[in-house]
Amino acid sequence: MSKTFDRYSSIVFLLVGLLFVIESQKISDSAYGSTVGPKIFPMWLGVILILLSLRLLYETFKYKTKTASESKLQYKKFIIILTSAVLYAFLLEKVGYVISTFLFLLIAFQTMERGRLLPSVIIAAVFSLSIYYLFAEFLGGSLPGFPVL
Amino acid sequence: MSTLQFLADGFGIAFQWHNLLFAFVGVIIGTAVGVLPGIGPMSGVALLIPVTATITSGMPTDAAAASSIILLAGVYYGAMYGGSTTSILLNTPGESSSVVTTLDGYQMARQGRAGAALAISAIGSFVAGIISLIGLVLLAEPLSNIAIKFGPAEYFSLMLLGLAAVSGLAGNSMTKALMMTVFGLMLGTIGIDAVSGIARFTYNQPILFSGLEFLTIAVGLFALGEVFKTVLERDHEDGAIAKINRILPTKQDMKDSAVPIVRGSLLGFFIGVLPGAGATLASFFSYMTEKKFSKNPESFGKGNIAGVAGPESANNAASGGAMIPLLTLGIPGSGTTAILMGALIMYNIQPGPLLFDEHPEVAWGLIASMFIGNLMLLVLNMPLVRVFAKIIQTPKKYLLPIIVAISFFGVYAVQYTTFDLYLLLGCGVAGYLLSKNDFPVAPLVLALVLGPMIENNMRRALTISNGEFSIFFTNPLSLVFIIAAAAWLLIPLLLKLKGRTVVVEDEG
Repeated sequence: MSKTFDRYSSIVFLLVGLLFVIESQKISDSAYGSTVGPKIFPMWLGVILILLSLRLLYETFKYKTKTASESKLQYKKFIIILTSAVLYAFLLEKVGYVISTFLFLLIAFQTMERGRLLPSVIIAAVFSLSIYYLFAEFLGGSLPGFPVL
Repeated sequence: MSTLQFLADGFGIAFQWHNLLFAFVGVIIGTAVGVLPGIGPMSGVALLIPVTATITSGMPTDAAAASSIILLAGVYYGAMYGGSTTSILLNTPGESSSVVTTLDGYQMARQGRAGAALAISAIGSFVAGIISLIGLVLLAEPLSNIAIKFGPAEYFSLMLLGLAAVSGLAGNSMTKALMMTVFGLMLGTIGIDAVSGIARFTYNQPILFSGLEFLTIAVGLFALGEVFKTVLERDHEDGAIAKINRILPTKQDMKDSAVPIVRGSLLGFFIGVLPGAGATLASFFSYMTEKKFSKNPESFGKGNIAGVAGPESANNAASGGAMIPLLTLGIPGSGTTAILMGALIMYNIQPGPLLFDEHPEVAWGLIASMFIGNLMLLVLNMPLVRVFAKIIQTPKKYLLPIIVAISFFGVYAVQYTTFDLYLLLGCGVAGYLLSKNDFPVAPLVLALVLGPMIENNMRRALTISNGEFSIFFTNPLSLVFIIAAAAWLLIPLLLKLKGRTVVVEDEG
């Protein structure tokens, strides 16, 4: 549990609540067939979230900070994997399923543990090809195929 | 038609060869999910929804829904069987519901009785599964007959009760749990309002008109959140795996565990039926009960077989009991059942009292398949326990990236948009950050599934009452539900004020 995280998140949720309350006022109140329009529910949710966030904010000033015995986080690995996952999402429709999946898996395997390239290549290739052919060819699903060269 | 007739029809559906296959695949994957620390039943089920949706895409809707729910439920209760394996062999629980199993299970393994412990937990799980299914069969009709008389006001209050129960028991801070619930409800309002047809919070982005896809959010929060956590906080590698010598338990073992199994099953079943309380609480309470009833309580924690038999039966019975509110009332009481409900809704099948009338083949097919699935698990788990124990050794370096790839495939194959992939990754990061900081994510998913239904029922009730909110309090049943909801929230709070520790239901 981290005090700073709790404090920032309570502020973020407070803003989200406010946004909902303000934005729900813009929803038109045409309530035909119903006495209660589409804006009541989100508005009240916003109000409740604001109250809860204030309560959490208040709590963060009360409890003592626990001594952080954080083990070292492996940020580098995480950032490489997250970035390659974002690129994977970006490239999926552009270069097709098989190529993007193969590349993502290869990079991720090697990031998790460097070395032994051959098994990584084989597993990545088998996974991406078999999913593609099983799904797109055999089951008749639709996945972006290979780029048209 | 009588219940038995319906059940027989259900078996007719469950015995179709492809449904047998689906149940089989479900329980195998479920056991694997249970054995692997890191993937819990919730992420396991969420990951498989898109896969089953594709496989069943050629079938008529009802048959497709029956087949996929058979597989997904198989994953759910299969995970309860698998969870004990790592607890006993490695002293690391595969699921939170098997935490107490480590206390006596691992001690038994150290004394060379690993096989007996594993076998007893499989037998206990089987007995519990059957007992809870019988309960489900008996209660399904009467409960849905009551529920069918519910009006919108009762439904609104009942769903409120469901949300309150899950928030009251999830995580250490109730404020945070309630925030996640409300936030989930808010996410559920994005999109076109079903009653008035007005777009809300979409900002003219066509992609938002249909709302945020619950599947994307669930997979992101649970599966990816867990992957990111493992990448960031490399778990210290596990110790040696205990050897399995003899699998069959001795006569004495059987005698010692017969009563705990029955007791655990009944206790687990009733805890499972309650919303909010689930497998983790059930196993915990069962352990306490066994210790209380035991002639020599000091032997607990030193390899007493009752300490394995009771909790393992209880967590399985709870997962069966949890199906009751889902199927008869249409209200999931836990994160995993919320995901199962989302899966049914994806097939346009609304769980609830009408389910048994409108889609008997789905409801009874599922119940019948659970009998078969439990039998499969018993048969599989006894001889194959060594094989499943091997799954623990799957190297993380391959497992984690493949989970990411499966999530991508699953989400893309259902949604066909890159937007959902980005949303998936965003939810993954959020899921890691939130659960690391004690914000429970299960209430969020539950609220996201229930949100639109809560709102519709609220608005219908208010239309009936001409906008008077008093309808929720003057209607007697609705009042009872609201009082119960308040009690779920207030009682843990009061206990905490008194300095008592409150057991939390932790789902992974």
